[in-house]
Amino acid sequence: MTRRRWALAGIAVASLVWALGGEWVSIHAGIAENHFLDALAGLSFFVAGIVALDRRQGNRIGPLMLASGASWFCGNWENLRWPVWGAPLLVFGSATAAFVAHVALGYSNGRLATRYERVTVAATYVGTAGAMLGFVLTDDPRVAGCVRDCPWAPVIWSSQSAADAFEWVDEHGAYVLVPMFVIALWLRWRRSTPAQRRYLTPLWVAAGILAGVYLISAIVPASPHGFLRLLSDFQALLEICVPAVFLAGLLSARLAQSAVGSLVVDLQAPRPTGELRALIAAALGDPSVDIVYAVDDGGWIQADGSPALLPTDESGPSARQVTVIEREQRRLAALIHDPAVDPGLVRAVAAAAGMAVENERLHAQVRAQLDEVRASRSRIVQAGDDERRRVERDLHDGAQQRLVTLSLAMHAARRQLTAGHPDAVADTLALASDELRLAIDELRELARGLHPVILTDEGLGPALQSLADRAAVPVSVDRVPEHRFPPTIESTVYFVVSEALANIGKYADASDASIHVTHDAAALIVEVRDNGCGGADPARGSGLRGLSDRVAAVNGRMTVVSPVGAGTTVRVVLPGSARADRVDLVQRDSTGTPVGAAPHWTPGGTP
Amino acid sequence: MRSLLIVDDHAGFRMWAREVLRHEGFDVVGEATDGLSAIDAVHDLHPEVVLLDIQLPDMSGFEVAERIAAQTSVVLTSSRSAADYGPAVVRSPAVGFMAKSDLTGAAMAALLDPAQS
Repeated sequence: MTRRRWALAGIAVASLVWALGGEWVSIHAGIAENHFLDALAGLSFFVAGIVALDRRQGNRIGPLMLASGASWFCGNWENLRWPVWGAPLLVFGSATAAFVAHVALGYSNGRLATRYERVTVAATYVGTAGAMLGFVLTDDPRVAGCVRDCPWAPVIWSSQSAADAFEWVDEHGAYVLVPMFVIALWLRWRRSTPAQRRYLTPLWVAAGILAGVYLISAIVPASPHGFLRLLSDFQALLEICVPAVFLAGLLSARLAQSAVGSLVVDLQAPRPTGELRALIAAALGDPSVDIVYAVDDGGWIQADGSPALLPTDESGPSARQVTVIEREQRRLAALIHDPAVDPGLVRAVAAAAGMAVENERLHAQVRAQLDEVRASRSRIVQAGDDERRRVERDLHDGAQQRLVTLSLAMHAARRQLTAGHPDAVADTLALASDELRLAIDELRELARGLHPVILTDEGLGPALQSLADRAAVPVSVDRVPEHRFPPTIESTVYFVVSEALANIGKYADASDASIHVTHDAAALIVEVRDNGCGGADPARGSGLRGLSDRVAAVNGRMTVVSPVGAGTTVRVVLPGSARADRVDLVQRDSTGTPVGAAPHWTPGGTP
Repeated sequence: MRSLLIVDDHAGFRMWAREVLRHEGFDVVGEATDGLSAIDAVHDLHPEVVLLDIQLPDMSGFEVAERIAAQTSVVLTSSRSAADYGPAVVRSPAVGFMAKSDLTGAAMAALLDPAQS
């Protein structure tokens, strides 16, 4: 047996001695009361307190229960009429109602949640034990005729009027304290969760009736017989309810622990998606329980792969408790449950379901990835449509308009020629020539947007340098590998850098930017940094998201770090971007005209 | 000579259309660069013919045609072909459509007065 268990056994023996001894004193003093009920009520507090100390270490309810039991029997021991002990017994014994109120409002962890509850409980202690303390400090029993063996003698100040006042408070304090207590119960019920109400309603009903009985006891004239005797017995019965309900709560937690065993068995059987939640809900006895699964980027997803958020309500009827399930210091999932569910049971269920949770998490991640792939595919199709519309619009508004006017100019020139105005013809042809040059420039720019020739012919370094040269801010390009990569990788890098530089020009308010490209056996890494205003959000705006989709399509990953006021870094990692062993190139002559068949080209210059 | 208003947001087209039509039987009384100013110009200048681009910056040429067709003859034009606009051209109250690349004074006259052509 552990030292703690020995201590508990000692407390149990002491409690039994205190309870039975008190009843023995009452019986021998000729006190007319139901000693069985009285002993049963007091002992029930001791039993509940000892069980609570054993099962819920650190929970304040255990010590409060023991204090209630000890206080309960003080009145019995007072009948010994020991001069020294009379006053402390009277004071401590008068605090029973305050201890019970403290237990009822602090159930199930002993903590008082609101200021009003703390004021109510404090007022109860002051109105009972405090008033009695004032009484014994000011009342002189010898005034009332006590000659020897008086229960106490005033040690500070003997004042009959003060003693009368304290006695009045002790006798009539219930008029104020009971309504305060009932209001506190009602307020607590209002802000409790459904599960808490399920557990607490029996206790609060008993405590509410008990408070009513206290009130009636204060109104009805004191008498050892008749109605007050009946009330006293009824009060004892009700007071048993308080520790009984607490014990029932502990027992139900023990029963729930056995549900963990059933959960382990149930988890062996195959089950459809989402069934794990139902099994855990049954084991916890909380139908409202929910499970969300951790993903690598720090977020959470539902079992079906859809995004999830952890609740933020920590109080009130909608309050939810989050218990994170971890394995080897890695987050697997989070159980979102009613705060009233026993934390030990939650931990036991989480441990039992660990493997199943891990499997379910992997399934959820796959579903989330599938959803993302579907969404990405849809966005890529949409981006393709948008791009075609843009090209059509650019053609229509640009080169096509210029060619139309060129056609009109040619028509005018022909007429001028026929009419014999050679000077006018020359002017018209000059204007037409300018228009034609602009049309060619616009077509070249459009073609470069579709696919840059320099990238195909010269590779990443020159292509990125050409982007840097045309950027709106000074851009430095460094560490670009000289060898070639697969065309899809090169074009992905090119368009990421192109979009990033375009965004810098439009939004960043930067004075310079830089492009870094590094490559090792594992990945090709591209970073575009600027010193602008930051605050870019990749979730907003189709440009960055379209790039992210493009990067994801080649198994890459794009991140945007953009703290407000500290510039933006767009980083793309393209894993396994092996250098191209052979790249098909169109061979061109000195004017850029394709000639002959495309030869195979090998990095390093060996054809 | 028929009075004519050119409505197009492209300055180059307006300049050359004016140059061509001015020498081929039309009196170009004004130019407008968008739908609203075209409507105002029709009210102010009372042109007999309006050469109206379909794609204007503020509103569609079809919408402008609906609002001015009772006061003048409208010829729709575009750098696209009529087929690109489907039945909208037929439903329009305009007297016809002329691709910008086909624009000449004779073609305009033929469209406005098919019997003479």
